[in-house]
Amino acid sequence: MSKTAFRLNVNGQDYEVLVEPRKLLSDVIRDDIGLTGTHVGCEHGVCGACTVLIEGKPQRSCLVFAIQARGQSIRTIEDVADENGDYSTLQQMLHEEHGLQCGFCTPGIVLTMEAFLKSNPDPSEEEIREALSGNLCRCTGYQNIVKAVQKTILRGHEEDKEIASL
Amino acid sequence: MNQTNDKTAFLNAGKTLLRKEDRRLLTGHGRFTDDIHVVGELHACFVRSTYPHAKISALNTAEASAAPGVITIVTAEDLSEWTTTLRLAPPIEGLLPIEMTALPKDKVRFYGDLIACVIATDRYLAEDAAELVIVEYEPLEAVTGMFAAMEEDAPLVDEELGSNMISHQSFETKSIQKIMKAADRIVESTFATARQTHLPIETRGCIAEWDEGSQHLTMHIGNQAPHPFRSVLAGRLKLRESQVTIVVPDVGGGFGQKIALYREELIVAALARHLKRPVRWREDRMENMLASSHAREDFARTRAAVDSNGRIIGLMLELIEDFGAYCFYPANYLARVVAMILTGPYDIGEYAYDVKVVLTNKCGNGPMRAPMAITSWIMDGTIDNIARELELDPVQVRRLNMLADSAYPHTMATGETMEDINPGTALEKGLESIDYKNFRKRQLDDRTRGVYRGIGICSVVESTTYGSKFYKAAGIPGSGHECAWVKVDPSGEVRASAGVMSTGQGYETAFSQAVAEGLGVDPKDVAIKLGNTDVAPYGMGSRGARGATAGGGTVYLAAAAVREKALAIAAKLLGLNSADHLSIQEGRVCWFFDGKIQETELTLSDIARTAYLDPTSLPDGMEPGLEVTKAYDPPPMTYSNSCHFCEVVVEVNSGIVKIERYLVVENCGNVLSTQIVEGQQLGAISMGLSGSMFEHMIYDESGYNQTGLLSEYMMATASELPEIEIISVATPNRRTPIGLKGMAEGGVMGSIGAVSNAVSDALAPFSVVIDSHPISPLSLRQKLRKSH
Amino acid sequence: MKPSPFTYHDPHSLDEALALLNQYGEEARIIAGGQSLVAMMNLRLAQPDHLIDINNIPVLNGIECQDRLLQIGALTSHQDILQSELVRQSCPILTNAAAHIGHYAIRQRGTIGGSLSHADPAAEWPMIAILLDGEMEIAQLSGEKRTLGARDFIQSIYTTDLAPEEILTKISFPCLEENEGWAFKPFARRRGDYFIVAVAACLTLDQSGRIKRLRLCLGGMEATAIRLDEIEQGSIAHLPDENWIREVAKAACNEGNPVDDHNADVEYRRELVEILVTDALQDAFKGTQRG
Repeated sequence: MSKTAFRLNVNGQDYEVLVEPRKLLSDVIRDDIGLTGTHVGCEHGVCGACTVLIEGKPQRSCLVFAIQARGQSIRTIEDVADENGDYSTLQQMLHEEHGLQCGFCTPGIVLTMEAFLKSNPDPSEEEIREALSGNLCRCTGYQNIVKAVQKTILRGHEEDKEIASL
Repeated sequence: MNQTNDKTAFLNAGKTLLRKEDRRLLTGHGRFTDDIHVVGELHACFVRSTYPHAKISALNTAEASAAPGVITIVTAEDLSEWTTTLRLAPPIEGLLPIEMTALPKDKVRFYGDLIACVIATDRYLAEDAAELVIVEYEPLEAVTGMFAAMEEDAPLVDEELGSNMISHQSFETKSIQKIMKAADRIVESTFATARQTHLPIETRGCIAEWDEGSQHLTMHIGNQAPHPFRSVLAGRLKLRESQVTIVVPDVGGGFGQKIALYREELIVAALARHLKRPVRWREDRMENMLASSHAREDFARTRAAVDSNGRIIGLMLELIEDFGAYCFYPANYLARVVAMILTGPYDIGEYAYDVKVVLTNKCGNGPMRAPMAITSWIMDGTIDNIARELELDPVQVRRLNMLADSAYPHTMATGETMEDINPGTALEKGLESIDYKNFRKRQLDDRTRGVYRGIGICSVVESTTYGSKFYKAAGIPGSGHECAWVKVDPSGEVRASAGVMSTGQGYETAFSQAVAEGLGVDPKDVAIKLGNTDVAPYGMGSRGARGATAGGGTVYLAAAAVREKALAIAAKLLGLNSADHLSIQEGRVCWFFDGKIQETELTLSDIARTAYLDPTSLPDGMEPGLEVTKAYDPPPMTYSNSCHFCEVVVEVNSGIVKIERYLVVENCGNVLSTQIVEGQQLGAISMGLSGSMFEHMIYDESGYNQTGLLSEYMMATASELPEIEIISVATPNRRTPIGLKGMAEGGVMGSIGAVSNAVSDALAPFSVVIDSHPISPLSLRQKLRKSH
Repeated sequence: MKPSPFTYHDPHSLDEALALLNQYGEEARIIAGGQSLVAMMNLRLAQPDHLIDINNIPVLNGIECQDRLLQIGALTSHQDILQSELVRQSCPILTNAAAHIGHYAIRQRGTIGGSLSHADPAAEWPMIAILLDGEMEIAQLSGEKRTLGARDFIQSIYTTDLAPEEILTKISFPCLEENEGWAFKPFARRRGDYFIVAVAACLTLDQSGRIKRLRLCLGGMEATAIRLDEIEQGSIAHLPDENWIREVAKAACNEGNPVDDHNADVEYRRELVEILVTDALQDAFKGTQRG
């Protein structure tokens, strides 16, 4: 089958790729672009490990053909910490609360919850768990992930207060 | 600063050190098997059986071989040239020897079994070609249930054995038969766990590199036990062990699924060598679900002879395990432990067991986090049944039968000795915390409102860190020792390694703490090097909750030995006669006197420099260098204990179970890293709850797997699992380094018992007893309908 | 689990897409969100030779409300429906149903048109469309359009009235009436799973408090969701009291012709219907009292 050349924008950078149209976005990000933080866990859209942000929205990269993502901005786990390598608040809280063990599901969880918190800044525990329910984790039992998300929210509130008091 | 003037106090063990592994894993820079690429690599894809049991009458690879990108397609015949047959024949009474080739030669034994291997330049192309391989089958009747498998005219899974019962062992104390006969009352209970699978979120996979020049094989693979894996792989490839290096990168969970050398991995390695090209394989999720390794599917029946107070005077266990079609482990390995430790915290002197393991046409079984998971449910479920039949309070029956904490060390009827545990304290502490006293009133009040509330209690005595003596005594092949080294480089940098391999547990962090404790340095300054068999010493790997005690414990002993040598050097350098009053804290030699501490000018770096670069300044006769390799064989068994409490409400109309509270009281001894230990407990309990309430690998009657997708095999999500409260009542183990114990499996044992017992308690007014898993709404409705 | 090869087409207009469909017929598949299709392709359960991606046809996307008719472009994502204030105000049962679809990430990409065309009997949109008698607007190569009621559009498991050369472009739902009570009650083992059984209901009362209109729909009891026409008719002018709810729930659970599977036997499905209908009608009645 013939390959097609096209450009993908990942983490603000353009990449020229030459792949078959059937190649999954998850595989292109990992194998052709070399960003291996996006993990492949099931290839049928259930486990959530491969979740990336496309135009800011969390999506399963195993259920998108790379060619479909031409012209769209894709963000992966490698772009969540800032350029100095400093964690986002959520990453910091996952670290402090022991919200990861083997870490294979972690990139999908970080991206899903970063996006979720942006559009739902003050969710209940039930809402957090619902948003998280599309990401399977076999190690943690989710409890410390939920705690980390809650602490991220609290931290956000504290920062808001600080700003307000300035 | 970690400093103290008590020379014997722990400075690093038992603290929380934020995990060292986290940075790479949180930022997408972890390095898992599939993240590694080798120039010139080829991709493997397996052709698998679409029948549960069939003769392969013809295999045609012609069209597939001509497909784009295909390098070769190999079959059983090819592999038999390059690999040996695995023969599992440990000298164990009642266990039949069994053989397995790399690919099945003439018949497939389960849906998803291997047939051929396609090697292509690309995984997509390899899958295209695999579809073109034509297999002609002559279907055979499949045997899919453990009871059917034991019938006389049952189809044979392995004709060579002449029977599907691959293992049968029994034991009884002298008077048990007499007691059972004379007993006024026998309470009979049954328990059945469902077939499950480990479900690491990273599936299996490997990359094999053959170096033709040096005739050396390097295998990148996520594996829990790299050295034993190397031994088997080298043997089956007819290589010397020195020709094989196993390199284990980050591993996305194992839970027991990544211990054995599976056939796919053997084939990939054989092909890399044959083709003189690197070959990689990533198991896809469907392969993982259908054909990697399954677990559980035990059926147990107990018969307890009791007196009128509920005192157990004799207990008999019958246990049957459905082991699937292939044995990657001796078949008695898992079930045997259940029988050995069943009586746990209870004072039961008269005991008998009968354990059968049978083969069926399903995916082969292996150990999954708590291979003995069913144990505590059987025991505490039996206790609850006794309470129900005698109309006694289940707590009262527990108290009556439970050994006093002061009774330990205690030797069970099977000869197993438990020590340094406190099941009585754990039970009482939990009862108090969960307010059991008022619970029964709440339960009655709720019932009048149509709310069915129940509490389940499950005491766990967890067998961890199996020592060599246990294996020997239990008739299970294997060693329980572990090996580690600690090196202080001339620069003063500290490195350590051991044979165990982390699959997410955080060994880099916990072992840093063990080294820090043993040597007297900051754990941040310790580098842990695991997973490369050329670097790590030969150890038995991660299994059976041995990471901390065997792995961390051995690392600690090696570090302590390094410190001893360092202090001997320090004494010489300081002009002292002995090192008795010296120790190292935070990398600096300190002098202890009269309960006071005084720092000296001397650092570990100074000592290391002397040890390597100025050997003439060393004490007379001392070897240069500052490194120690140590092996350590832990006690036969290191027991932990815990008591689990689960409160549920069951909606009787719909069969839905809601967990309202989950609490566990834990005694897992002294620990290396508190946060990691808590994480293990949460993970284990969650796996047990998910397993007993949701998970079920379903085969239909003809042997087809109905649950080969993640959408069909139900693992609990964040929305289904409860918050878990943990209370510690730890007491150290007297024999192990630092007083460590294992603890990563007891959560599974306790939770499946606690939730099952809780649902039975809630449904007591309907006389519904949970005797099988998963506890699905449908299964509850079916039971409730019968009770009306 | 990699898809088999296909030729990718990226039409930028509906006409272009229809022309491609006409050219390749049964060899082609439309991809919208692809949340079911790509999974099936990865499993090689679907192996189209041509994949026609309609994501770049903006006219297919969007939500409008005209003359008390809520019109949703086929390409509109579940998440956009879930977050739409217009939907929440005019037809809140859609908002609620959208929240039950799959998981957060799936909802971002999955589309209403894709879900309806896929016609999974355990999915939310086909059931809600049948409940509300949604109208499907279907484009044909001739430039013609045809519209079809949901009950005619959805024919069986994974089967619709859509011809291979047609595209579902828009779905219209009549807005709920003021003070119309509604409820959607899916039952699944886990959050985000396809439902095993589901009940959806809409209820309006007349000024005397008697039932003016009931719409009641069951999912998981047949190859498609079913409307309980007889019960709906028989309920008119009835008082919406506990007795009525009990009777309807008892009657509803005898409807349909469900099958046994490992999640639910026939009897369990019927038991669930009774529970869920009771819940749904109670909630719907409460909704009528919000005034």
